Amino acid sequence: MAHKLRHNGNGIAVKASQDYKDDWSRLLTQVGAQRDRQAFERVFRHFAPLIKGFHHSRSTQALNAEAADELVQEVMLKVWHKAPCFDQGKASASTWIFTIMRNCRIDMLRRSQRHQNRDSDVDVADIWDENLENQPLLFLQHKRNERDIADGLNALPAEQSHILEKAYMEGKSHSEISEELRLPLGTVKSRVRLAMKKLQARFVR
Amino acid sequence: MIRHHPDENLLLEYASGSLARGPSLVVAAHVQMCADCRSQLSTLNNLGGSLLNGSPAQPLQANAFERLMERISQIPEKIIHKSEDTPTPVPVGREPAMDHLPKVLNKLLASNPNRRWKTLTRNLQMCRLKSGQRDYEVAFHCLRSGSGLPKHDHRGQEFALVLHGSFSDHNGIYGRGDFVLREPGQVHRPIATQDMDCLCFSAVAAPVSLTGIRGLFLNPLIPFRPG
Ligand SMILES: [Zn+2]
Repeated sequence: MAHKLRHNGNGIAVKASQDYKDDWSRLLTQVGAQRDRQAFERVFRHFAPLIKGFHHSRSTQALNAEAADELVQEVMLKVWHKAPCFDQGKASASTWIFTIMRNCRIDMLRRSQRHQNRDSDVDVADIWDENLENQPLLFLQHKRNERDIADGLNALPAEQSHILEKAYMEGKSHSEISEELRLPLGTVKSRVRLAMKKLQARFVR
Repeated sequence: MIRHHPDENLLLEYASGSLARGPSLVVAAHVQMCADCRSQLSTLNNLGGSLLNGSPAQPLQANAFERLMERISQIPEKIIHKSEDTPTPVPVGREPAMDHLPKVLNKLLASNPNRRWKTLTRNLQMCRLKSGQRDYEVAFHCLRSGSGLPKHDHRGQEFALVLHGSFSDHNGIYGRGDFVLREPGQVHRPIATQDMDCLCFSAVAAPVSLTGIRGLFLNPLIPFRPG
């Protein structure tokens, strides 16, 4: 697959739209329905390095290399087990894997906080839904939304995309971002809102 | 019709995973009741997916795939059902209307089989729930129809969701599905509407202090007990 990358000024690259001809969603469906290990290997070889890079790269140091490798193992294990639940009418492969990854990270963080009272039957996936009940969209519509968001991310001013990256990749709250960047909380909030407005304007027609 | 929603900033913190477990329970319950927020959340998840697609691929440890497949072959294949139905929790004793709850709250109720309702005032009952965290007090409150709470302010943020009936305060009327966020220091005096008892679910970050003379009597009755 050709990787045409465009940089948006922070060292984070977002794939240009012509690269969205992937068929990861189809492969993932195959993994779920037929427990197809070859299809799973292809999904792994594509997504596992991205999951690692999301948390550990030159531009993000959310986790150290070992922790990022450990997270990759946890996420891809869940992807294998949960693949039968994947529904390409609800989300694309990358969005679904993102939600699994986010939940693994929440779990990981929770396990590291020993003082926490962790006694509960309510799982992370009960609170952070991995299969959001939503108006089913056509596969192509997901592709388009995703492409529009990727294009939109590229077009955002660096000060806005930087904050989105900190929130998603480093898992920081608005107040943590405001402390780190020494910006008033209101400024962080309004940059997020502006960014979301721009992203949404692209596909709310 | 739902008129009060979590704002974009809160939804983004929830979607990106930085919002604490307590408030996330309230946001999750609202999202399960609210199609508008579900659609917003799906955009926020798409954004996560796009950032994942665009993140710089990093080389893995040697044999990462083989190591994973080794692990997979050791775990018996779990049968995963597409729709995991949570059984409707059996009500304990006399309990307010608990039907048509979002599924995350059914799960929470099912994991609190020994919950107890406490009478705080003639008109207000409360049921604390264990939710696997310590920073927020997570509870149901039931306010009797037509009655009010003493004026009180919040020393910590309060995230609440109306599940049944409705209440009003000087900011407006809140009905089923409405999401309410009160910042520390905001004083309000909620009153349940005449026709129905009002059931709310909430996560509160610090003790609710009751102001005014009645607060003197009420405060000792509501010790802050997160969990
Ligand atoms: Zn909503």
